[in-house]
Amino acid sequence: MTGTPPGSPTLSGSEREVAHLVALCSLPGLGPATLLRCHRGGGAEAAWAAIVAGRPLQAPELAPLFRRLPDEARTKLLAAARTIDPAKELARHRTDPFEVHVLGDTRYPARLVDDPAPPALLFSSGCIAALDAPSVAVVGTRNATRLGLEFATRLGLELADAGVAVVSGLALGIDGAAHRGVLGTAERADLNGEPDHPAELALEHNPHGQPVGVIASGLDIAYPRRHAALHTQVAQAGLLLSETPLGLRPSGWRFPARNRIIAGLSDAVVVVESRSAGGSMLTAGEALDRGVPVGAVPGHPTAPAATGTNDLLFDGAHLVRSVDDILEVIGLSRPTPDRNRLTVERLDREHRLVLEVLGQLPAALPEIMERSGLSLERVSEVLVHLEAKGTVVRSGGWFQRSGGRRG
Amino acid sequence: MLASIPSAIVLGVDGYPVTVEVHVGVGLPGLTIVGLPDAACREARDRVRAAVMAAGVAWPSKKITINLAPSGTRKMGSGLDLAMAMGVLVANGDLTGEQAHGLGFLGELGLDGTVRAVPGIVPLVDAVECEAVVVPVSAAADAVLVEGPKVRPIKTLGELFRVLKGDEPWPDHEFVPRLPRVEAGLDLADVRGQPVVRRALEVAAAGAHHLLMVGPPGAGKTMLASRLPGLLPDLGREEAMEATRVHSAAGRSLHGGLVTRPPFRAPHHTATMVALVGGGTEAMRPGEVSLAHAGVLFLDELAEFAPTVLDALRQPLEEGVIRISRAKFAARLPARVLLVAAMNPCPCGEAARPGACRCPEGLLSRYRRRLSGPLLDRFDLRIDVLLPEVDQLLGGEPGEPSAVVAARVRVARDRAVLRGVRANAFLTGPALERWAPLAPDARDLLATVLRTGRLSARGLARIRRVALTLADLAGYEGPLTAGQVGTALQLRADVAGVQGVAA
Repeated sequence: MTGTPPGSPTLSGSEREVAHLVALCSLPGLGPATLLRCHRGGGAEAAWAAIVAGRPLQAPELAPLFRRLPDEARTKLLAAARTIDPAKELARHRTDPFEVHVLGDTRYPARLVDDPAPPALLFSSGCIAALDAPSVAVVGTRNATRLGLEFATRLGLELADAGVAVVSGLALGIDGAAHRGVLGTAERADLNGEPDHPAELALEHNPHGQPVGVIASGLDIAYPRRHAALHTQVAQAGLLLSETPLGLRPSGWRFPARNRIIAGLSDAVVVVESRSAGGSMLTAGEALDRGVPVGAVPGHPTAPAATGTNDLLFDGAHLVRSVDDILEVIGLSRPTPDRNRLTVERLDREHRLVLEVLGQLPAALPEIMERSGLSLERVSEVLVHLEAKGTVVRSGGWFQRSGGRRG
Repeated sequence: MLASIPSAIVLGVDGYPVTVEVHVGVGLPGLTIVGLPDAACREARDRVRAAVMAAGVAWPSKKITINLAPSGTRKMGSGLDLAMAMGVLVANGDLTGEQAHGLGFLGELGLDGTVRAVPGIVPLVDAVECEAVVVPVSAAADAVLVEGPKVRPIKTLGELFRVLKGDEPWPDHEFVPRLPRVEAGLDLADVRGQPVVRRALEVAAAGAHHLLMVGPPGAGKTMLASRLPGLLPDLGREEAMEATRVHSAAGRSLHGGLVTRPPFRAPHHTATMVALVGGGTEAMRPGEVSLAHAGVLFLDELAEFAPTVLDALRQPLEEGVIRISRAKFAARLPARVLLVAAMNPCPCGEAARPGACRCPEGLLSRYRRRLSGPLLDRFDLRIDVLLPEVDQLLGGEPGEPSAVVAARVRVARDRAVLRGVRANAFLTGPALERWAPLAPDARDLLATVLRTGRLSARGLARIRRVALTLADLAGYEGPLTAGQVGTALQLRADVAGVQGVAA
């Protein structure tokens, strides 16, 4: 029996509980629900002792898990327990910049305390105080449209401007776009944040909201790898949270589990784009279970990326046309008048004509020519101008009015 | 006794003269071929022996040595068979040197004495050093295309022997050229709608601008590309001769005529580098790029080609020739093509419609990385081809016929010739500056785009060339307008699926 750690006596009573929770959660096959039962029941140390002794059924909290666990997985779990030293495991999870939060602890996120399924253990990297601000989750599909990505970035930027923390999952697509928006404001604040800048003084009462990333892998694993840079930036500018121990790549079941934390941490969940069977719909479902308001961005009825969000709207989700709609849901209003509002530009006849025929739906060159009655030369010239101004964006032969400018 | 008979071999697309020297003397009976023959060439020994006997001549039971001069060059294939047989006959005294004087010989021998055609008859006849050349009947129609030695078609070695003996006059074999079928039906009038793509094809034909079409399956990319040769003018005499030599060297029958229409080659995307650029065997066979010389090379499913194969195209696209070098020899193959490529915007083909793509992100980014920036940069025209609208498929006005468009293309090409180039795509530096001045509004438009950072200096030159071609097609004189420059910009877009390479 080498599993009983000789180093344990150096830990105080509450520390022993934390160390054994960390050790339990590192065991393969032992999920958040069992961990929570152990924590709330006889304590992690008792459960750990039962496992190390090879008699897990002695701990009543472990019984439901071990009764349904196949023999093979059970052997694997017990074998893993013998190689783990709880004190060392805790020390590993406390190396800078990581921090461990236990349910019931003062540094445990307050919003999760009354959650129906709170994580007994949370690992963090960054500034846990980011969660003190009002927070909104911005989530959506990985296969987003260009307009969807633009809108998510804009929401992230404007929510942060309004002092709202933006919670998301760091996935490709909408999740990443929203956080990029938040980080965009962070950069701007760094550049313009000199106190002699009178316009920025007003913002001191209203600090920028920070990005909060809740991920399914261990905090030291960037998943997806393409978001490695974003991963680091979010941890530096805000907070990165996970209930997965360090060094683990995400298994499939961890994504829906992660979604419940996103929903639990937020004052509102906004789905920007999602198919009807997308993972963001699960986040929306978790939010509804917790009484967290859900908002959805409307899309065109035929757009595949908008089927889920349109379903949500049909089912009574809050309509999100701009950041103001979200702020109203969470009881905030925008602190400053819209700085980005544009003066109406005087466009000549052809420009107006092209914009008119473009409408809000994408159109290809031949359609624009046919509907406007202009030649290829005229349409081309106008489109080059509009594209350069950012009024129109081109994607794959389709032109559409940029999401950023309406009316 | 010694005989010296002129013949030729083909390397790449060029013929090289070869002298077949035959010595018949005392020694153990046998036949040795020296002068770097390859396997097929060495096997001539058995073919020649059987053919000579089939011609009714006794095979000399003496020591026979055949030298192929220049002996340092490798000799490939069976085209020297006939010359070797003549050498043996002369050296053995069956014919006098006088009787074979001034004659060159090309062709492979059958065991029964039949004279067969070999690939590359046009460059071969061009290279052989003699007053009249004896060729197989089946190759005679192609051989007479060369302005050179008199062509003497012959069917068998026996026939040739009797003629040279003076027993018979030169036979009057008929070699009626089989004229190529006139390829009708591929008319631009069949294309309904698609005004932008039609314009792009016209510009590509008029200015020799390489064209990349990106679009979902079924948008008609292949159908459009196959109509491009119909818009190109006939080949000039010099170009036709170049193309004819390539096709002959590749062993394609010319149907007895010069290649006067621009060829259209569409190699499959599994093509190897050798199949595409040529080389491979020691004969340095021309590849698809050379076969498309002076015509159109169409690469369908561009992204499915092996990246190394595609990058091998960059140099020929720039210089118009392929230089293949191997340890012992080098060949220079003509390769001035109008490159037309087509690809899907993404593996599932739906990315052109916003939000419709079902490809996983990883697959998509791998697909986009398959094309190198430098290759994409060679395309002056990059357009999205979208699915035609339903009402255009069912009825709709037939488009302008090819003949009308081709007439405009000819006028535009004539204007380019006045500028000293074959087409506007070849205008560079000062010439471009001189012939493609910009009107003030065009200058403003370009300045606006340059400021957005999406147009590079090199892209700017390409835009001006395309705009100049647009002006030529419209019969417009004077500085380029903003409309022409804007259209050029739209025709060279960052197309779907292709990562944002600076235009």
